[in-house]
Amino acid sequence: MTAPIVEMKQVKKRFGYIEALRGADFTAYPGEVTAIVGDNGSGKSTLIKILSGGLKPDGGEIRIKDKAFSSLTVRQAMEQGITTVYQDLALDNCKDCAGNIFLGREIMKHRFFLDHKLMRQKTRELLNRLQIFIPDITQPVEKMSGGQRQALSIARAVYAGGDIMIFDEPTSAMGLKETSRIMRLFLELKKEGKTIILISHNLFQVFDIADRISVIHNGLLVDSFLTKDSSPQKLHEMIVEKEEGMTDEEMV
Amino acid sequence: MKKWFSRYSQQIFLFAVMMLICIVLTVQSKYFLTWKNIRNILEANSYRLILAIGMTFVIASGVMDLSAGAMVSMCGVIMAVGLHAGLPAGAAVVLGIGTGMAMGAINGVLIHYTGINFFILTLAASGMLRGISLMITDGKPITRFGQDFIFLGIGRIGEMQLSVIFAALLVMLSIPLMFHMKWGNYVQALGGNKDALEKSGIHVGGLRISVHMFLGVMAAVTAVIITARLNSAEPNAGMNMELDAITAAVMGGTAISGGRASIGGTVLAVLILGVIRNGLTLMSVSSDYQQWITGFLLLLSVLISEIRVRKTGTLMK
Amino acid sequence: MKKKVLAILLAVSCMGMMMTGCASGEEEKEPETQEEVKEDAKEEDEETEAESSGVDKVLADIEKQMNDALGELPESGKGERIGILISSTANEFWGTMKTRYEEAGKELGIEVEVFEAAAEDDSAGQLDALQTMIPMDFDAIIVSPIDGTNLIPGIVAANDAGIPVINLGPGVDTDALKDAGGHLDGKITVNFEEQGSTVANDMISRMKDGGEVAILSGLEGAGQSVGRTNGAKAVFEETDGIELVAAQACDWDTEKAYEATKDILTAHPELKGIFACNDNMALAAVRALQEMENKDVMVYGVDYTSDAKTAIEEGTMMGSMTYSSTIYTKAAEEMAMLLAQGKTFDAPVYLPLTLVNQDNIADFDGWR
Repeated sequence: MTAPIVEMKQVKKRFGYIEALRGADFTAYPGEVTAIVGDNGSGKSTLIKILSGGLKPDGGEIRIKDKAFSSLTVRQAMEQGITTVYQDLALDNCKDCAGNIFLGREIMKHRFFLDHKLMRQKTRELLNRLQIFIPDITQPVEKMSGGQRQALSIARAVYAGGDIMIFDEPTSAMGLKETSRIMRLFLELKKEGKTIILISHNLFQVFDIADRISVIHNGLLVDSFLTKDSSPQKLHEMIVEKEEGMTDEEMV
Repeated sequence: MKKWFSRYSQQIFLFAVMMLICIVLTVQSKYFLTWKNIRNILEANSYRLILAIGMTFVIASGVMDLSAGAMVSMCGVIMAVGLHAGLPAGAAVVLGIGTGMAMGAINGVLIHYTGINFFILTLAASGMLRGISLMITDGKPITRFGQDFIFLGIGRIGEMQLSVIFAALLVMLSIPLMFHMKWGNYVQALGGNKDALEKSGIHVGGLRISVHMFLGVMAAVTAVIITARLNSAEPNAGMNMELDAITAAVMGGTAISGGRASIGGTVLAVLILGVIRNGLTLMSVSSDYQQWITGFLLLLSVLISEIRVRKTGTLMK
Repeated sequence: MKKKVLAILLAVSCMGMMMTGCASGEEEKEPETQEEVKEDAKEEDEETEAESSGVDKVLADIEKQMNDALGELPESGKGERIGILISSTANEFWGTMKTRYEEAGKELGIEVEVFEAAAEDDSAGQLDALQTMIPMDFDAIIVSPIDGTNLIPGIVAANDAGIPVINLGPGVDTDALKDAGGHLDGKITVNFEEQGSTVANDMISRMKDGGEVAILSGLEGAGQSVGRTNGAKAVFEETDGIELVAAQACDWDTEKAYEATKDILTAHPELKGIFACNDNMALAAVRALQEMENKDVMVYGVDYTSDAKTAIEEGTMMGSMTYSSTIYTKAAEEMAMLLAQGKTFDAPVYLPLTLVNQDNIADFDGWR
């Protein structure tokens, strides 16, 4: 078996009285799609935020490609090849496609000046490659549909060029047609050899594309297995059982 | 063409209003369309424009600075104290600009790191700064400076007053700064979606502080012009000037919640307000009308941008 | 988004109001205006007939003095255009002055235009207004600057354009003006020291056996306050038997004047007279005296405000300094006409001053 590309061990995070992570583990292998599932409030978002940088854990260790960190800044995460597509998309609605794709990594000319023309051209190329159709790429993002924005957010992550891509609920606000388009995009990316970490509520979707599934519950990793060894029904039962188990405990 | 028209509708509206006002004034007063009067308008509004440009950047970044007027008086007072202590004009200007930068930096640090609403913070800063100006001056203006300092306020190169040249240079500098350089791009993104900018790996705090320092420098330049022109640094100088600057920036099309800016719009708005002020003076009409007209125009231009946004069906969540 | 805009706009406008609120009433600029004169002309006529020694006689006397000060009268108006720049009609005093200027212009047969700044402390705006006036081909310009230096670049520009400039009231800093290469063609003003000395003399004449007196000054360093205080001080100090026990700066603030009066009286219970540098402070002193049940102290003020008039009539104040704004504005315009007609003035012209006191107040009905 190959060595993991991302390994998080005993990660802890507390927000005031709430203990979001109580020593959670997480592992992802290169070239695989790893899904993280768990109910609302299980801590999966917190885990991802720590991995993509910006949120500082209270304890534990993060290893990315054999480099160890106790916490990461957004910059450090980027340098390790991690790019994230956030659930809220993190788009500047006042800027156009190019302005968003190149935010933080602008192409310059004469050293000091933004090369708007080149960035626009590259944007067109990128969107064509990913088969994302946006009629007018010079209009601000606020005038685009939900699906277009989602696609743009993914295009930005692709352009960023990291080999570890994190998707936080990428299809939550999407119609069927748009969802299937995004799913196709995932398979493209996987073919390109990217490691994908996916958070999703949609268990069927998870079984469609994930190689490996990690179940987070109550701030801990409770199980991790290969997709082919399980089924959506089994997984569903597992999550629901956990939930009920806990309720019983609490009642006692 | 249509797209261009819709994108700049607010500026086009302002330009039309300005033309209309100019035509009315030309008919009403034989003194309006004379070179001397036009020069007067430019000179009288040069410093207002400079402060409004600084405010445009701050508003684009998603906040407002209500202490800008107090900063003007503070910078003026500090320069005056320096000049009276024997500093040469150049050194006093550097001191003033340093003061402006420091005050801006404090505002930026407070806004970013405390997370308290900018309205409250800069209102408090405004009170404190004006208080310090009053304490330093004992409530009285500090007057009489050397001719080389005064030259900065009223000196001319050829036909043009230095202050007008400063303002023109700053406008020409701020257009590339805002739209064609990283810094301005980030400043707008800071107002557009601070979170997105942060997630792109930009150090948002430093950026916030730098925008306020930029406004501080603009306030200091404003102070140089006013103090030199009036030959007097007054603790009450710049009273309400921050509101005029905010008015001009918003009227010009800079989004009040940030994210989008228009330098050209700010220039137009300052000129419109200046032309109205001049016209009312020419016709010796009470300046009370000025306030009313300013408010009305602000309302109208914001309404126009709002209608434009609705019509093109934005606001999707 | 829309809500946010609305809220911010609201807040901004509220703030605007707050700030204008703060801006006004910070500094006393010039004497408050006299009693409103809104009686019908008819009424006035009747009064004149009934009392030939009344206000019209006083005014006629003052006008004669004024004319003597001017030296000669201008040829009758030939439609000269005079531009006048005041500080702001937001101050009641300047509102009255504007009306008086316009009335006097009509009487003299000249064209008068009055300009102003947006607010009493808008010194930059006042300069802008002056700059705007300069290309308007006025035959002369009368200015009352907000502070000593703010109008200097405009005055220099007027000099360059060959327009005579008269300074009325608050003074232009003539040294700074000279440094800038400019000059004034005429100056008409109130002699603040004379205001002080007139009060002091009247007070002394009512103190047969001498005694202790005190002064309540205005804002330290303000021209009116310094002049009035010094004028009174000089008279008190050179008179035998009069002892000036306190000269306290009260910053035109009624609260401070009230406190100061109590303190001074506690330390000097034999006090005979108080001179306050304006009526508002004088009235505060009256309030303090009433509270301490003291009826022996004579209180004088400056400005002859409507409240002071009432106080003098009731006998709680002894007197107040005033001058006629009708004659003030008319004289300034006559001076402007004389300048336009080629006359020059080398020395400032001082406005005749009048003390209204309990003895002569009856003559000041309809004062303007």
